[in-house]
Amino acid sequence: MAGLEVRDVTVSYKKKVAIRKVSFDAKAGEIIGMIGADGAGKSSLMHAVAGVLRFEGEVSYGGRVYRSPKEAEALKTEFGLMPQGIGLVLYETLTVAEHLDFFAHIRSLRQDAAFRDYRQKLLHMAGLSDFADRQAGKLSGGMMQKLSLICTLLHRPKLLILDEPTTGVDPLSRLELWDILDSIRKEEGTIALVSTAYMQEAAKMDRILLFDEGEIIAMGTGETLIDSVREYTFEAGKCPEKSSSDTACFSFDKRSYSLDPLPSPHVEPTLEALFFVNALRKKRTLPRLEIEARESKTEIPETVMEARGLTKRFGDFTANDHIDMRLKGGEIVGLLGANGAGKTTFIKMLLGLYPIDEGGLTLLGKSIRSSDDRQALKAKIGYVSQHFALYKDMTVRENLIYFANMHRIPLSTAIKRINRYARELGFNDYMDHSPNELPLGINQRFSVAAALLHEPVVLFLDEPTSGVDTIARAQFWEMLHRLKASWGISILITTHYMSEAEYCDRVVLMRQGRKIADDTVEALYAGHPDAKNFEDIFLSYYRSET
Amino acid sequence: MNRVFWVVFGKEIFGFLRSAGLVAVVLYAFTADIYIAGKGIQIKPRNVKIGYVDDTGGGISRKILSHLHRPEFLKPRRFNSQKALSRAIFNKEILVGILFDQDFEKDFRQGRKAQLNLLLDATAASQSFTTLGYLQNIVMDFSKPNFPVVIKSHKLFNQNADNHTFMALTEMLSVTTLLIVILTAVVFVREKEEGTWDIMLLMPVDPKLIILAKSLSQVMIVMAGVILALGFVIFGAFNTPMNGSFWAFILLTFFYSFSSAGIGLFVAAVSKSTMQVAQLSIIIMMPLIFLSGAWTPIYAMHPILQFLSLFSPLRYYIEGSESIFFRGTAFVDLLPYFGGVLVLGVLLYWYGFRKIGKLF
Repeated sequence: MAGLEVRDVTVSYKKKVAIRKVSFDAKAGEIIGMIGADGAGKSSLMHAVAGVLRFEGEVSYGGRVYRSPKEAEALKTEFGLMPQGIGLVLYETLTVAEHLDFFAHIRSLRQDAAFRDYRQKLLHMAGLSDFADRQAGKLSGGMMQKLSLICTLLHRPKLLILDEPTTGVDPLSRLELWDILDSIRKEEGTIALVSTAYMQEAAKMDRILLFDEGEIIAMGTGETLIDSVREYTFEAGKCPEKSSSDTACFSFDKRSYSLDPLPSPHVEPTLEALFFVNALRKKRTLPRLEIEARESKTEIPETVMEARGLTKRFGDFTANDHIDMRLKGGEIVGLLGANGAGKTTFIKMLLGLYPIDEGGLTLLGKSIRSSDDRQALKAKIGYVSQHFALYKDMTVRENLIYFANMHRIPLSTAIKRINRYARELGFNDYMDHSPNELPLGINQRFSVAAALLHEPVVLFLDEPTSGVDTIARAQFWEMLHRLKASWGISILITTHYMSEAEYCDRVVLMRQGRKIADDTVEALYAGHPDAKNFEDIFLSYYRSET
Repeated sequence: MNRVFWVVFGKEIFGFLRSAGLVAVVLYAFTADIYIAGKGIQIKPRNVKIGYVDDTGGGISRKILSHLHRPEFLKPRRFNSQKALSRAIFNKEILVGILFDQDFEKDFRQGRKAQLNLLLDATAASQSFTTLGYLQNIVMDFSKPNFPVVIKSHKLFNQNADNHTFMALTEMLSVTTLLIVILTAVVFVREKEEGTWDIMLLMPVDPKLIILAKSLSQVMIVMAGVILALGFVIFGAFNTPMNGSFWAFILLTFFYSFSSAGIGLFVAAVSKSTMQVAQLSIIIMMPLIFLSGAWTPIYAMHPILQFLSLFSPLRYYIEGSESIFFRGTAFVDLLPYFGGVLVLGVLLYWYGFRKIGKLF
């Protein structure tokens, strides 16, 4: 019997414990889902189970027990691990067919008729039969992940460990990845451990493990998990004011969560509710975000940014193909798309970090023809780049003072403003830490604070929510909405979480460098009456495109 | 204007001081490394291992061998046959072999031209050839030629003909070059890697100002290193003479550092990661050092290389520095060196600004 049992597994690094005393088990043919933020311990646990990372505790697979990577060595012919990161296991200059041959050789598989049939079947399932001669570097992100998956499946592993195989992949490819996984586990009886950044994918798992700060906070089927928090989920309403300033209740995405009964009626919870309820139970209180009006008076133009046919090419690859877009004053526009769809390129072109190959751009009423045109606008634009670019050799406070100095804000004003943001955006306790030591969610708010020091009119945010936990993400969006309300600021934000479209005023969907949808949230819902959520709406756009 | 400049400058200096590893590397390069280079490279023979085969009665061979003593030579070792000696040379046990054969003794006694055979390991060229020179002098002393001319040499600029000082000075100039290029390149590439450079470009500040402030900070770090090296190693340990103006040298070093920081900027502009900086710096620095005349005098190079050497700022720096230290050249006559360093520096900065210092 080829079951998996994980007993009291702890993984610790030099300074920190990544995962503490975790136990679970899995039956043949079962898909175990792992959900949680970056740094919650999912990857560490997966690598420990795969036998590539030292751990304490024991794992038994098919009745054979191992406590260290060395003991797991004999079992590795039955394991398949696909690490996190798109195309990480692939070699850019090898073709699809060469990859399959390469992985067959290093696994020393017998290349008989049965193998060739299986190989053909995998290629077919992945939709790569027609691309056997294409180099991996020239595949789209979704195709790369499908190729990575079939390379991992080539030796017919009985225990498949997939670390965020779908993160940043377009919705259609994500569905296909799940189809491959589903048919393989049915035919081969494979146990699959799959981590994901998308809550919506949880429905496809047989059982779900929810991770938070190195612990499993809940375990079970999707239904039982949702049942467990039903009594704490209410229709959105005002949280009752308590004497203390801490929130004992969260409101997010049309729902409110509270351990004490609220006056509003119950509504159907989602898996996200588990994280909120967990935080409430642990009394992990969150500072209330508040944003005061800006100190300087600024006029908000009607159109903040207008792009007409913006095009960017890298060699013979077109990263942005004639994109038109308009950002109005006081509007939040979400630029959505998979990794490699051209979102970052577009933002960098707007900012002047990449030259514009073709098309016209008007920023804050000024037509941009050369870098001189941008000079005067710099003081009105705020930008947060991917991975929160901050100086790692300075503390949070020093970073903020440095940025304020660069904007020539008088020092006394700057310090007052920095302290106010630290209080309002809730990173006061971290002011004297290095950005490396901060949780991702804090880092993200502090990066935004750095971009707000000069009170800009428009904010460009590049993937600020990637990898951030549910609660921090909820808080982040709340902060953006408050900013919009009290500052009248316009925000262009990119994200690969399709579900975040809900929180934007208008949504632009990109696919392989082209714009395939651009409409308000209401209009998109109205145009797709049968769609349950944005995932479905975008899927229909992707389908009609291909 | 000034405020932003000094803020960036100060930030880089503090950043440098906070990184213990970097401070250690710079301290090592400007002290121990220069000392070792000055002390360690020996052109004079020292501890040379000599072997000999003596088939003569011993008279004249003893006399010659008695001139080979410490510290230049170890006690000569006797071998029984030429074959054994050859094997010892092959195995690197012996550097120079002397063969006193019977013909040698006979011819010498009879006043004919006697032939003394030497075996030299020419892979250790400088050591074995200076040993050859020593032996020639010894033999010459014996022969007392009937030619009444004596050479009296006057050593100019370096009275002790001491190459430690030369070695140490050249090493200091090379270390200065290497460090300024790598430090500057890393300062910019680290910002590129972490994405902070994009943010800097979007600040309402002229990026040229940021680039100048950042390079100045690294120039100052290296200048501090040069002062350290001068005080402790060049003047302290090696007693190098300073015949020209100290301040002329400091000024030349300052301009040269700025011009090399331009190379660093160029390296940063074309590389994406710190790893690439290391690789590119070596690829760019090697020809610059070869062409500078640090290792081969420029007049001894192929005409094409002589022409190319005009583009190595290090050439002007080395020639200028040696003139200041050993020749005591007047400031006016140093102007060509200053000019060469400055023109190349301006060109490199212009390229760096264009490549990484602007929005589109």
